[in-house]
Parts: sequence; C-alpha cells; structure tokens
Amino acid sequence: MTFDRFDRFHGLLLLLVAGGLVLLLAVAESGGGRSAAGVDKAMEQDLDYQARVAFVQKLYGPVEDLRRDGQLQQALLKLDELERRYPGEAHGFILRGEILSRMGVLAEAVASYVAALRLNGDYVDARSPLSRQTEIRQLVDDGLRILGGQARSHPENVSLAAAVKNVHYLQSRLAGGCE
Amino acid sequence: MLLNFFRSPFSSLRLSLLLAAVPALLFLAGCDREPQGPVLKIGYMNCNNEQETMQRFAPLTRYLSEQAGVRFEAGEFALTHTNSLLYIVLQHNAGLKLVAADKRGHFGARSAGTLIARKDSGIRTLEDIRGKRLVFGPAMAPTGYLAQYDLMLNAGIDPETDLAYYAIPSGSFKHEKVLYGLYFGAFDVAAAPALDLELMAADGKINPDDFVVLAQSPMIPYCTFGSSADLDPAILARVRKALLGLKTQDTVEIDGERVKVLQSAWVEGFEELLDSDYDIIRDMARRTNMPPYQTF
Repeated sequence: MTFDRFDRFHGLLLLLVAGGLVLLLAVAESGGGRSAAGVDKAMEQDLDYQARVAFVQKLYGPVEDLRRDGQLQQALLKLDELERRYPGEAHGFILRGEILSRMGVLAEAVASYVAALRLNGDYVDARSPLSRQTEIRQLVDDGLRILGGQARSHPENVSLAAAVKNVHYLQSRLAGGCE
Repeated sequence: MLLNFFRSPFSSLRLSLLLAAVPALLFLAGCDREPQGPVLKIGYMNCNNEQETMQRFAPLTRYLSEQAGVRFEAGEFALTHTNSLLYIVLQHNAGLKLVAADKRGHFGARSAGTLIARKDSGIRTLEDIRGKRLVFGPAMAPTGYLAQYDLMLNAGIDPETDLAYYAIPSGSFKHEKVLYGLYFGAFDVAAAPALDLELMAADGKINPDDFVVLAQSPMIPYCTFGSSADLDPAILARVRKALLGLKTQDTVEIDGERVKVLQSAWVEGFEELLDSDYDIIRDMARRTNMPPYQTF
C-alpha cells in the first residue's frame, strides 16, 4: 500500500485535529477541576475558621463569664489554667489584655495585645467575628495619653519607652500594617 | 543611715535585710575575672530563710558584679532589694534612690492584695467578714498586710474591732501558710497577695475554684532595687542598665555550674518605675498608720 502526498497531507491534518481535541479535553478537565477544588478548599477554610471561632469562644467562655461578673482576679487565674493547656493561643492574650486593662495595668495590657496580634491578625480585622478593633483603638488612645505622657516627661526611662513602642505597634496594626 | 528603720517598733517583726554574706560567698566560690573598682554591698530582704535567700540571689549578685564591674564586701550597703513598703521606708529615712522593680506574674512590676474566703464558707462580700477570723501575711508585706488592712479601713471595717480576731503566721513561708490556714479551716478570711494565688495555682497547690475573691486592692509596685543616696551615679547607672538588660537566657557561673540569673532570682525581668509610682503605697501607709508615717 502506497501513500501519495495528498494522503500524507490528510493524515497530518487528522493527527493535528486529534491532538487539538485531546488538548482541549485536557484543558477543560483541569480548569473545571481546579475551580471545583477551589470551591471545596474555600469552603473547607470557612468551616475550619468558623469551627475555630466557636471552639475558642466556648473554651474561653468561663473566663468571659468571670470577667463580665467583675471577678477579674478569678478570670486571670482561669485564664492561666487554660494557658497551661493551650499555650500560645492568641485569644488568651486578648482576654488577658482586656482584663489587665480593666484592672488599670496599662503597659502589661498593651504588651498582651501585642503578643496576640503577633500570633493572629484577625483581632484587628473588622470583618472577623474575633475583631477587637474598638477595644484596641481605645487602648491605643489611653496608651498614647498616659504612657506617652509619662515617657515625654521621663525621656531617659527605657521601660516607658518600651511600653510606648508597644502602643505604636498596636497603632500600626490598626492602620493596616502587618508583621 | 540605711539601718535606721530597724530601730522602729517594727524591728521585732524580724523583717531584716541580709547583709554581705551573699557577695562574700560568691567570691569565695572562685571568680577568675574578679572586677576591679569600688567595693559595694547589697542588702537582700530575707523572705523565707537565709539559706534560700543566699541561693536565690547569688547568681544575680554575680551577674551585677560582672556587668557593673564592682566587688562586693561587708560594710554599709550601697544597694538594697526589698519589698516596696521597705523601699519607701528606706527612702523616707535614708534617702534611698529607686533603681528598678522586679517583674513577676500577671501584673509585671506591680501586684495587689486580695481578701479571699473559701467558696463554701457562705462569705460573699467584704461586709460579710465582720466577726470572722482573719489571717494576714507578714506585717510589713505590702500585698499581704498593708493593702488588705487599707481595703478594710476604706470599706468601713476596722480590723482591730470588727473582726473576731486576726493573726499572722509564725516562721517562714507565711504567705503559703495564710492560704493553707484558710484552706484547712483555721481561718474564715485570708489576706493573700494576688501573686501568691497565681503561683500556688500554677504549682497545683490550690485550686482557684475553691476560693472567692472578696476584694482586691489597687495595683502597687512589687519588690524593688534601691541604692544608697551617696552611691556613685555612674555605678548606679551601670547597675540599672544591667538589671534592665537582663534576659531570660542570661547565665552566670556558680560553683562550676551555669545558672540562669532571672530564674534563680524568681524574677521575670526588671522595670524602671518612677518614684511617684510608689505614692499609692505612701498613701496606704499613712491611712493605716504604718512606717514610715506611724504615730503613737
């Protein structure tokens, strides 16, 4: 069996069409898969986040209850108990900061918020259910007024300078700065 | 004169400053880089017993010696490490200068006094403590006695007349004895430092759920380093810088062993407070007729 140039030309065309079809199928397959996987992943992330928020709120519920009742020292001790079980959890630092702030221990409260934000930026994200933007803004105002005022009166005091630096860190995170 | 306050009526309470044995011990232990320069002495407040205090502060003394380049020997002491009430007494009587305050626990360089009761006692408010048995900590303890005495006076409760009686435990580890005295029912109410609640709960010695905090004092400065009025300002600056620069991982060699300075001293760091931060203690001392303002 012999093939002339015309046959070879048609064969080549057929091969090109078949190759194109395979390529199209492959592209369509991968594009759709990625889209489906993307949806799954986003949903998975949302579910993870909601589960984490619910878990954190339940876990720290007793601390919140004590804090609301004004039993601040008891709330700190309960927080210690949880921290021994979940060391380095940002929400614990946030609650500690809130309690210390209410007790008037301003520099330590600021330091606690700083520790929390270094671990998790959700607390300055207005869209997050964990957001503490309002509280942090208030703390920054108090910090600049009280600690900033003391630092200006005592420029040689390195501890006050460090405390004001922490206030500035919170201020920068509120302004959208990140780590 | 720094030792003037020992002559006050409170000297019988045995709240003493340990003198130069700490530095002597250090240098006997062998220091191959003995610093040159002035000879200084640090008086450390004795919390529980002499041996414990020696061991606790030997690394810090060695560290300061290395960083500030000074030697320590017996004599009129140039530096003190005391609670914040003794700081204001020494400041009032001898012109002591503020160097830095210890940081430890929830409140950093500050602490508070609490009045607590067992949760099952039925005592719920400060008003409920009238006619009850109360146990204080040491009489010169800012957050084990002074703050709570002041809390009661401010609430219209005179500890001298409105309680069934009050007591102070004898011997060492008074703060822990206060908690145990309450826990095992010898007393109805206890004057506990907030820091001790925190530490004893962390050690598993008490369960915070067993207690109710009836009242808590305002925050007051914690233990404090002071310097004598005539200490060379350059040395004072070096000592302060060394204290403020101390990090958790800093070590010194004691008896051939590398020891963490802060951990040994039961301190998490140091903070530079202002002398005016101590005004709150001065006000408490005036209201409670305590040194250095007591009148008879």
